[in-house]
Amino acid sequence: MAWLNLWRNRLRTGLATLGVVIGVVAIAAIGITGTALQTGATQQLGDLSNTVTVFPGEDNTDGIISDSTVNAIERATTGATVVPQRSEAMTISSRSESRRVTVEATSRPSALYTPAEGTIPSPMRSGVLLSREMATELGVELGQTVSIDGRSYRIVAILEPSGGFGPGGVSVVLPLDAIDRDGYDQVTVVAEDGEDAQRLADVIPAEVNEREAVVDTFTPADIQQSISGFFATLNAALLGVGSISLVVAGVSILNVMLMSVVERRAEIGVFRAVGIRRREVMRMIVAEAALLGVVGGLVGVALSLVIGYIVNAQLLGDPSLVFATRNIRFLALGFGFAVLASTLSGIYPAWKASTANPVEVLRG
Amino acid sequence: MTEHDADGPAVSQPVAELDGVTRRYRSGDEVIDALADVDFAVEPGEMVAVIGPSGSGKSTLLNVLGLLDVPTSGTVRLDGDDVTDYDDEQRTMARRRTIGFVFQSFHLVPMLTATENVLVPTMFVRGNQRDRAEDLLRRMGLGDRLEHRPDQLSGGQRQRVAIARALVNEPRLVLADEPTGNLDQDTGRQILEEFERISTEREVGVVAVTHDDLVTEFTDRTVELIDGVVQ
Repeated sequence: MAWLNLWRNRLRTGLATLGVVIGVVAIAAIGITGTALQTGATQQLGDLSNTVTVFPGEDNTDGIISDSTVNAIERATTGATVVPQRSEAMTISSRSESRRVTVEATSRPSALYTPAEGTIPSPMRSGVLLSREMATELGVELGQTVSIDGRSYRIVAILEPSGGFGPGGVSVVLPLDAIDRDGYDQVTVVAEDGEDAQRLADVIPAEVNEREAVVDTFTPADIQQSISGFFATLNAALLGVGSISLVVAGVSILNVMLMSVVERRAEIGVFRAVGIRRREVMRMIVAEAALLGVVGGLVGVALSLVIGYIVNAQLLGDPSLVFATRNIRFLALGFGFAVLASTLSGIYPAWKASTANPVEVLRG
Repeated sequence: MTEHDADGPAVSQPVAELDGVTRRYRSGDEVIDALADVDFAVEPGEMVAVIGPSGSGKSTLLNVLGLLDVPTSGTVRLDGDDVTDYDDEQRTMARRRTIGFVFQSFHLVPMLTATENVLVPTMFVRGNQRDRAEDLLRRMGLGDRLEHRPDQLSGGQRQRVAIARALVNEPRLVLADEPTGNLDQDTGRQILEEFERISTEREVGVVAVTHDDLVTEFTDRTVELIDGVVQ
């Protein structure tokens, strides 16, 4: 019967429902878009955001990290992989091309890089790793040899490009001994996850710097957290706006229900006369308002899914991500809020209807 | 109909009774008695007409009988029970169980079919009364109009749907407010015959408030009200 009463005044009902739809879409679509943006930004920060880069601190007069410091780092980060690195500018030549690049030397590149072709030996004592870009520039392939500062090295792996921050952007990787020096230019510590990386970024200087700032640390996880925080705030603000729009939709439903109840005074009077109780009348009217919310909510969810599908396809290339848990929560939140706001809006008109005096209405 | 005791005089109980009922309205300094010390009773199977000029208190009488209004003083009895001090919930339930209403302007729900309209008083009653509703409509000659909406029915047909609605919960009392007011004379006559039939067949007390003298042809008794006082 609630459905019939709404159908009676299709235009009015439709407009009120539209208000709810907009509110739900505002909340759910904004939430989904926020999730997509955040996921996208996080992905672009690179897969190595669980690393901590340790470099010489401001009190470090030699400008290098000594073996004893590396030992101290290993003690401080029990269980994490500690990779000391050196770097230097060198000339790399193939048969046809020659380039001057910054070469990185490390004994455990397998902990830091992923091969696109070939395998990275662990530990690495011979051979060279090239980035795909460098290999293309030099016109060489896996298995061939290149000359670096006069010495020959065989290409044992081509590296996959890794993300923006941390130990990425490297083009040539040699074994540690290729750069014959004392100490290291930096040390990369591979932690379990971003949270662990952030913890270690604080622990390492705390434990290793006894009196002077011998080392300092940096982790992309910090940036990732800032960005996540930014998006969370932005999302919350936009959700707030979306919620306001649902409140407005609730007011519009209140209006529609009030009009409906006033128009149906005589009808409701008859209901009371034939023995329908006040609370039963209230149930009827609240049910109508709730139904408005349910219909609007369902349409809103469907529309949000469509929008989310498109957003995820454009931003992340994977439209099925719209069904991520977080997004389902937004959809449920939008729907739930819609039904709640609508039902609450029905209470005052329902009360007004149920307490109206049938005698006055039925006179004549 | 009265029942006779083996030894003694007739024993019968009115369906509804008003005993010294006054309904007073205060409006500023003015005091108006819509009903003044009214005694009234209707027996099962009896049909009573209440006539009188406009403003005579006829509607108030109906409202008090129908438990839609509460008297300022006096007693109201329904099937022997004193219902004068019932609260809204109790009065509503008493109406549901015992009383049926028929209004001048029919007051049917436009979006519902005839059958659904008849079922309105059963909305919150357990069980399925659809068969009973359809049966009632058939007995009124509306067997072929069960799924019609009010705008597809004539005035007389609508009034009959309203009467069927009044009967669906098997009341003991039917209250009709100007039942023929919106009908032409022939149709009005048919409707009054219905009431008469209901009254005798089902032992229901019928009270019809009216301007229409035609009604008095069908009723067992006529009561005249002027200015809230029974003549």
